[in-house]
Amino acid sequence: MIHPTIIAAVVAAGAVAGGLGSLLGIGGGVFLVPFLNAALGLDFGVSRAVSLMTVIATSSAVSSGTAGRNVINLRLGMLLEVASTVGGLAAGITVARLSDRTLSVMFACVTAVIAVLMVTRLEKRNVLDAGADPGPFGGRYHEEESGREIVYRVKRLPVGMLASLLAGAVSGTLGIGGGILKVPVLNAWCGVPLRAAAATSALMIGVTAAASVPLFYARGEVNPPLAAAAVIGVLLGSRAGLWFGGKARARSLKLLMAMVLAAVAIWYFKRALA
Amino acid sequence: MSGESIDRLEVTLGRLLQAGVLSAAACLTAGLAIWMTGAWRGLATLLLTAGLMILMATPLLRVVVSLVEYARMRDWFFVATTLFVFGVLVVTLTLALRQ
Repeated sequence: MIHPTIIAAVVAAGAVAGGLGSLLGIGGGVFLVPFLNAALGLDFGVSRAVSLMTVIATSSAVSSGTAGRNVINLRLGMLLEVASTVGGLAAGITVARLSDRTLSVMFACVTAVIAVLMVTRLEKRNVLDAGADPGPFGGRYHEEESGREIVYRVKRLPVGMLASLLAGAVSGTLGIGGGILKVPVLNAWCGVPLRAAAATSALMIGVTAAASVPLFYARGEVNPPLAAAAVIGVLLGSRAGLWFGGKARARSLKLLMAMVLAAVAIWYFKRALA
Repeated sequence: MSGESIDRLEVTLGRLLQAGVLSAAACLTAGLAIWMTGAWRGLATLLLTAGLMILMATPLLRVVVSLVEYARMRDWFFVATTLFVFGVLVVTLTLALRQ
């Protein structure tokens, strides 16, 4: 029996995680998992399963908002999903054999990497002439701010596939979306403009989570009231985050959240050593 | 391959995802509200389960719709790609049902 205050706390935590996620352009899972696991003391497996449910909700909500503007690269996304779903399924099968200590170390490492990525993240433009041929996996879309037609071509596809496989495995193991791990790779190495990379990744994380979460559901790790509370919170929070998006100063917020993530990483390292 | 049909697919998938997330959110909100009252436990569980099932099924449906559309566009490379992703999800579901 879960106390109503826990439910209220999970809705609130989901809202904060979803809000931060949409402000920073990453999913909220990396904030939600440590809150459920470290702050509320829920089992890591339950935290992961509940968080993956919010990942699917975020993916559907964000993609339905961006669909129709051509920024989602459906073909590239589907191709990369070949790798990311395999990663997710592999994690879903093997994760039960990982000890709490191993999971803590992995979570600590991934949050540390995310913190670094968040501060140092590059934005390469990767734009070709409007008349250029985007090739079989590239794309073109209309950028509202500049009024320009953005055309790009995908390079080093195997690197993108490898990053997607890894992101899928991390998603199924740690309960985060994994977008933060593949968006920089797609942007910096594969020639995909940041906006297209982010939109395509947002679409991908839902199906990637769907490759692992039914296994956790079958194991009874998706606690229905907690998952409902987290999903509702995240959906409300990401809405609010988008609304505040124009007003907040992303730079200082990113720096602050990188520090929060560094603290989370240290907490998990300490727990692994204890 | 035509740019127009892929644009149409994007709009269709967007609507599908929106319908999925909205109906899941409605079931989960209603289910959680009833669950909090402590009464009608059966109804609350039913709504919560339905919401979670809809949520998990939405990405799968997105893959199925994409598969049909790529077949209609006769884009066989993407039919194969989409079929592979669908296969992975079917493996997941089969393993989940066996547990």
